[in-house]
Amino acid sequence: MNLRYVFKELTHQKRRTVISVLGLSIGIALFVILNVLSLAYREAARAPLKEVGADITVQRPGNVPQELTGAVFPCSAVTISEEEIEDIKAIPGIRGMGKAVLLWIFDPNRAWIVLGIEQNNPVGPSILKNFIMEGRYLETGKPEALVEAAYARQFSIRLGDNVNVAGRPYPVVGLIDASHASKIAVANLYLPLSEAQAIAAASKNLQSVSPFAGEDVNLLFIRADQDRITAVAAAIKGILGEKATVATPESFLKLLGSLFALSDKFTLAASIIAMIIAILIAFKTMAGNVAERAREIGVMKAVGWTHRNVTMQLLAESVIQGFAAGLLGLLIALAAAFALGFMTVNIPIPWEMSPTPHFLPGGGDPLFKTLRLPVHIPLSLAAFALLLSVIIGGLTGALLGRHISKIKPSEVLRHE
Amino acid sequence: MNNKSDILVGIDLTKTYGELEVVKGVSLAVREGEFVSLVGKSGCGKTTLLSILSGLEHPTHGQAFLTGKEITGASEDELALFRRENVGFIFQSFNLIPTLSAWENVALPLFPMQMSEAERRRRATELLDQMELSHRLEHLPAALSGGEKQRVAIARALINHPKIVFADEPTGNLDTATGDAIMAILNHLHRQKGMTILMVTHEPELAKTADRVLRMQDGEVLS
Repeated sequence: MNLRYVFKELTHQKRRTVISVLGLSIGIALFVILNVLSLAYREAARAPLKEVGADITVQRPGNVPQELTGAVFPCSAVTISEEEIEDIKAIPGIRGMGKAVLLWIFDPNRAWIVLGIEQNNPVGPSILKNFIMEGRYLETGKPEALVEAAYARQFSIRLGDNVNVAGRPYPVVGLIDASHASKIAVANLYLPLSEAQAIAAASKNLQSVSPFAGEDVNLLFIRADQDRITAVAAAIKGILGEKATVATPESFLKLLGSLFALSDKFTLAASIIAMIIAILIAFKTMAGNVAERAREIGVMKAVGWTHRNVTMQLLAESVIQGFAAGLLGLLIALAAAFALGFMTVNIPIPWEMSPTPHFLPGGGDPLFKTLRLPVHIPLSLAAFALLLSVIIGGLTGALLGRHISKIKPSEVLRHE
Repeated sequence: MNNKSDILVGIDLTKTYGELEVVKGVSLAVREGEFVSLVGKSGCGKTTLLSILSGLEHPTHGQAFLTGKEITGASEDELALFRRENVGFIFQSFNLIPTLSAWENVALPLFPMQMSEAERRRRATELLDQMELSHRLEHLPAALSGGEKQRVAIARALINHPKIVFADEPTGNLDTATGDAIMAILNHLHRQKGMTILMVTHEPELAKTADRVLRMQDGEVLS
């Protein structure tokens, strides 16, 4: 192989080289963009859960008491018992768990959505500490409350006030703006978990349809090994029953409805088609190039180039074209990724994960988590695309080289 | 079979393409340092015979020996390596690589060999200098005249210090004056450097400049 000859051939035959490189680069760019979009949708689907530090949320649907007074559970989240929690904890692949109690509390003058949280457990709604507008976050062991800022404004609740929830007084230690936080696990009022558990356990109305003991909960947040999320979700359903609502990134992905989100098979099939088109373009262009050079190759063989010498020369040309096509394809993909990064995606939040009762104003509205499509090209994908391009170039060159180097110089040189 | 001074020997060489017998039982010998011309009308089989004798093509029957080595049974790659070390070619239509400069075309046979770029260039430049083309080193073939192209092709044929040069209608694409100049170079190579040359031509006048003229007709060598 002679590099001087390789570069001369590629630079002097600009049209051929450009068509060949451009054809392959478009295929590579398509391949990268398709995979990047698929990854971006997956990442986006992870967002609602990621915001509560979880990979999985767990609820169990049940009944609501006929009379909505005092503390009740939403029909989408009834008791998960302490024993069931222990069974779930034992599922292989679980790395952490957060617990919460979500209550609807119908007091004489107002209705509350109350969420009892583990203040310092990173798995679960403790992310709320980042959204304190005024005052402070909940301190461990103290019966105190955080109030959502808009709700506080509506009902003229101020920092330092005492609010009465299901007959229990709680000092308001902080106001919180959760409008930018997750759309799930949000409420009007936040209490320590033990307080919410006590309220639930004391509610006869609640107990009448969903028996609740002191350490039970009705919301679980779970962190799991990424490659075992599906298996963990299935195991949870095995414990709580098939009707349990087990939300995973995969279930959000299904709600997105995009082709890119719907199926790995679509991305795979589209990627394969993109690559086949790229290979065909590269092969056709390079084949035309090599066929045009039959006489040249005949001369090379006549003056002493062996089969291997010719093949290596053509291989080097096509590998360099493949490398250039890979780089160009990545540049095109980068530009496309930049443009796609301005797209927003609305992730529907299932009604059963919405804490607001559907009969309250706004409670029945569809809920979305809206975010910019998190598009980025992973280094591993870029490296793979570049390698793929070089391999396609190399294979094309090797195949054509093997074929064309078999020509007999006398056959192409006799036609003077 | 062949005496010591024969550099090229063909014995009962036959080449058929399907039913068509192009070369018919030709036997010949070329001595070292001899300039032999093979003359005949178009289609008489002289280029095919040259291809067989130079190892570009296998005969259907017969044997060919070049520098004492039988080439008729050798593989394509063995023949390529053999040609690289022993044979130079000059073609009617020059067959220069259009993307390579004059000196690179001359150095083409050296590209597959382990050799520095500087050495390749030095050897090519030296030969182009002898061909009075030192001012054309970096020119592409498209920028050269017909005579210049053929002189580049001659330099390429000589770059490996071949033991024999095969020239197939070397003046066929040139005007008379330029053709004469090319013949002068070939004669100079033969007389001054002792180069063995087998030249195919259809022009009897050109053939006469050789030491010996072999006439070919209908696939047979007559004299």
